[in-house]
Amino acid sequence: MRPLRKGAVLIGVLVASAACGGASSPSPSAVTSPPADGATPTPPPANQAKAGGTLVVALPGDITRTDPALIDDSNSSYVMQQVMEGLVALAPGSTSEVVPALAESWTLSPDGKTYTFKIRQGVKFHDGTPLDADAVVYNYLRWKSFPTELQDYSYYAGAVFGGYGESSNVASVVAVDPATVAITLKSPSSSFLLAQTLTVFAISSPTALKAGKADNTELDISKVEYAQGGPTAMVGTGPFKFKSWVVGDNVTIEKNPDYWNKDATAYLDAIVFKPVAEEAQRLNGLATGEIDFAQTIAPVDIATIRANSELAVIDRGESCNTMQISINQNYVPVNNLKIREAIASAVNRDYLIETFYAGLAVPADNWMPVNTLYAKPLNLPTYDPERAKQLIAESGETDLTIDFYYPSDVTRPYMPDPKGIFEAITSDLEAVGLTIVPKTETWRPDYLDDEYAGKFEMWLLGWTCDWSGPDNFLKTAFFGYVDGAPSTEFAYRNDELEKTMNDALAATDEATAKALWEKAQDLIRADMPTVPLINSTPPAAARADVMGFVGSGGLNEYFHSVWLDR
Amino acid sequence: MLKYIVRRLLATIPVLLGLSIVLFAFVHLLPGDPCTAILGQRQTPAACARLRENLGLNDPLYVQYLDYIGGLLRGDFGASVINSKPFFDEFSVRFPGTVELTVAALIFAVGVGIPLGRLAARHAQGWIDGLVTAISLFGISIPVFVLGLVLVLIFGVTLGWLPTQGRIEARAGFEPTTNFLLLDTALAGRWDLFVDVLRHLILPAIALGSIPLAIIARITRASVIEVSNEDYVRTARAKGLTERRVDDRHIMRNAWLPVTTVVGLQVGGLLGGAVLTETVFGWNGVGRWVVDAIGNRDLTIVQSTILVFALIFLIVNLIVDVGYAFLNPRIRYS
Amino acid sequence: MSLETPGVTAVAAAPRRAEERVSRGLWSDAFSRLLRNRPALVGLICITAFIGVAILAPVIAPYGPYEQRTGGRLEAPSAAHLFGTDLLGRDMFSRVLYGAQISLQVGVIAVLMALVMGGLIGALAGGLGGWVDSVLMRVTDVLLAIPGILLAIGIIAWLDRGMLQLMLAIAVTYVPIFARLLRGSILALRESDYVIAAGAVGASRLRLLVRHMLPNALTPLIVQATLILATAIIDIAGLGFLGLGPPDPRTPEWGTMLVDARRFLQTAPHIVFFVGGAIVVSAIGFNLLGDGLRESLDPRLKR
Repeated sequence: MRPLRKGAVLIGVLVASAACGGASSPSPSAVTSPPADGATPTPPPANQAKAGGTLVVALPGDITRTDPALIDDSNSSYVMQQVMEGLVALAPGSTSEVVPALAESWTLSPDGKTYTFKIRQGVKFHDGTPLDADAVVYNYLRWKSFPTELQDYSYYAGAVFGGYGESSNVASVVAVDPATVAITLKSPSSSFLLAQTLTVFAISSPTALKAGKADNTELDISKVEYAQGGPTAMVGTGPFKFKSWVVGDNVTIEKNPDYWNKDATAYLDAIVFKPVAEEAQRLNGLATGEIDFAQTIAPVDIATIRANSELAVIDRGESCNTMQISINQNYVPVNNLKIREAIASAVNRDYLIETFYAGLAVPADNWMPVNTLYAKPLNLPTYDPERAKQLIAESGETDLTIDFYYPSDVTRPYMPDPKGIFEAITSDLEAVGLTIVPKTETWRPDYLDDEYAGKFEMWLLGWTCDWSGPDNFLKTAFFGYVDGAPSTEFAYRNDELEKTMNDALAATDEATAKALWEKAQDLIRADMPTVPLINSTPPAAARADVMGFVGSGGLNEYFHSVWLDR
Repeated sequence: MLKYIVRRLLATIPVLLGLSIVLFAFVHLLPGDPCTAILGQRQTPAACARLRENLGLNDPLYVQYLDYIGGLLRGDFGASVINSKPFFDEFSVRFPGTVELTVAALIFAVGVGIPLGRLAARHAQGWIDGLVTAISLFGISIPVFVLGLVLVLIFGVTLGWLPTQGRIEARAGFEPTTNFLLLDTALAGRWDLFVDVLRHLILPAIALGSIPLAIIARITRASVIEVSNEDYVRTARAKGLTERRVDDRHIMRNAWLPVTTVVGLQVGGLLGGAVLTETVFGWNGVGRWVVDAIGNRDLTIVQSTILVFALIFLIVNLIVDVGYAFLNPRIRYS
Repeated sequence: MSLETPGVTAVAAAPRRAEERVSRGLWSDAFSRLLRNRPALVGLICITAFIGVAILAPVIAPYGPYEQRTGGRLEAPSAAHLFGTDLLGRDMFSRVLYGAQISLQVGVIAVLMALVMGGLIGALAGGLGGWVDSVLMRVTDVLLAIPGILLAIGIIAWLDRGMLQLMLAIAVTYVPIFARLLRGSILALRESDYVIAAGAVGASRLRLLVRHMLPNALTPLIVQATLILATAIIDIAGLGFLGLGPPDPRTPEWGTMLVDARRFLQTAPHIVFFVGGAIVVSAIGFNLLGDGLRESLDPRLKR
């Protein structure tokens, strides 16, 4: 669950499952070629915008590395997307629109295997070297041929390319001429283009990569200077340049006055990203002006922020996550469908939304958010304690004791207060006659380790999407088989479901895919293997004089348009 | 004396070695696997196996231990499992933060605690004494995190007098060299930022320093009272020396002994208290880092940090003992 | 964590003990002296109230500690909710009362565990001397070299979450203090006349230790244990504050309640105030009582 930028799905595009190694489904015809007009992010009305100033942004945690290809966490990608650019990007505020970035335009061959990118001319990296086809090829070949020692840190390259080296789905990357790059796949992949909008596929200056030992010769990642924040790290082409990283304290980036897109030159002189783990501190910092912008805030703080005229809440709009009560079917009594239905009826979702999400959430009626491709209402049980009691009585179970877990030391975008949510749910469940044994572990590694290994009977967990496709929720996050067998996590066996989802991924036309995904949802609904609770939109907050920010549910947010009215 | 110091230094070696073995064993007994720490929800058995192999976790434990000790001797303290940063890259940023915080707290504790203790002793049994006793009682009894929260609420959020978090105004974009920010800002001639760093230090130093302050005030009071009743002090008074001279030349000179011991003993407690203080004030120090590292099973960080902490603790104790010998002519180590 | 607090007083107190003799009237003497010591009396009252509240919580508290939605969210103090309510609408007054139960229970058991473990180590080291002494004291050195809170966190990480583990984690941090204290007392007592005399008439080493030295070394331990209870209460809250409190999140543990309250520092500061106040008052109580005990148990300090 690393909420990297949510890659969104073009209408009709089936997205390859990331976690199962990038097995791709051919549906080339579905890829609509985007407008090649070269206009990237349009700035806000610039008539009153002021240039200058430094913005202090609070992130939930520190970045991990300064090499875009060797990260997989949202903090790092949030900073990097201000500095680095890939061939294509998502339009600001959009989760579904792919727009040109370093590639002016592209074409896809009729067999769906070869992408030909026209590389933008006259673009210079922050170190002054020019961007050309060779530079792009250098980056792609580096990703494709990561040595095993570095593969542990390059999750997305492996997942999207379907492996490394000879086993990669990427057959070749060649510079046709100084302004043209051709990427040929072994088999068509509908997710390929969309995945290229992820920050991990941002293009670095080859000169800087070589200078920073990021040329695949240094195998010890702690000695790859380009990844460790050396002076020449994060050398890209974006509207901001990397300046410094003081570990645990701040990452500072500054304006790139020579940015190639004159319409999107930054207003701000600099941005300081500070890791502020404690939500209370973010709130205090906003109130005192020590922080200008908090990327994520606790929804319960919204009331405080609204009461302060100097602050403003930013609602990101649509949701791309699901929070659920996870269940492992190897345990009694939760292996009984009636008990699971009872649990679903016992939980008061509206109370949770009102108390912990400040209303910025909806009760889940599916295992994926309603706006996800092919998602349909499943009429999941709503709050009805009497029905829950009745179901428990009908279930025939005598031992109604359930071990129930929550993570003790994190908040997640879909779960802003795990402890509080757990307390409320527990009292709901006890109210209908279940006996709950509360348990807790620290998030990493204990909690994730043990839930994955099937040591938990029932636990709180959710998923923030990588791509807003049905496969990313239903298969990758939840019920797909691992190595041909039900996951140890849920111990949920449904061979028909597995086959349906695999068929859906391989489907070449939209109607078939739609029908198959809808069938998969019905199959899951019938078994109710887990209990989906809530889809939420994590809010941000800023000082009231921070202008021009465009929020996005997928956190693909760019600060070049931000300016300070002070 | 030199012989004594050398002997004490040599005696720390078995303690450190023992500690390193205990730590190593402990850290490897922890349940949980660094695999999840790195791969999170995306782990697969195959990816974990590869990772364990790459991290050398499949070697026998004693081989891993020898590798670790070998690294230490070469000055290689390993790298974080979580962000793969070399230990000293991060330690060198965070450690100065903790040092500045604890030193500021100690200065606050000593600077306020000793005068308070002397004041109370001079007015023993009077209302001033009572007040000082009450303050020190309160200081011992209030947890640093409660005091910290209250200070933040009053002086930070409500009054807006002092910053609530961090070590320096982020907006200034100051680039430290040694990460001892007071030193760095002074060397750079940025006196405005020097003042800013001081302002950031005030609340955390008060929160962290409250317990040692209370203890120091108590001990100072007790030992000044005790010394005041000694014959030579009475003699000095009888000779007609001014009260100030009696204080400085006769009382304090002898009352320093227990006070010094106590100050030395506070260092360990301060390092522990720093964990909570850093949490409350978003302070970029070692304390919170190592707590998170324990939770994340970041084995290298835990081992190396605690070893360095222990080394500091032992050295400070040695300095205190040696200082003791200098201050007290009756003690001579051989 | 203020582990060094008690250590200091111990250092100052230990040598005096050595000269003490047990008289039949020691305890009754001590008690009457305690009652005449005003601060100690205040401490005694605080502690009595604390223990009373802990035991009588089910009777006094208007609501159960787990009872949610007894009122609105984050209500300010009122007649119905003396200390207001938390996010889940639980009555903070009831929760603070029940919190005394948890603190007392965990604190007392942890200190007793530390007393037993530390006492055993100290008695063995002091009583047997020689290499046993050296080894045991090096072990306590190692323990002392690790800041107490890190040790406690490590133990919880190792043994998993639970009430017993919490007690053990707190206990281990105090073991070296008790061990050193008892060892110091015993070393001093070994040289005292009556022990030498008892040895001369042929008492065995074990008998000397158990019958003659331990009873005389007990008073400083009791004083120390009272003072450490104050620190223990703070340390338990500290672990709770770091998210390492009892595994059942609903447990009304003060530190855990404080972390929750911290998020509403601006909107509902009264929660921090009441919970923090409870911790401070009980810690003050034990500190006053400990100081009072030391003064009244030490005949030399008669006023």
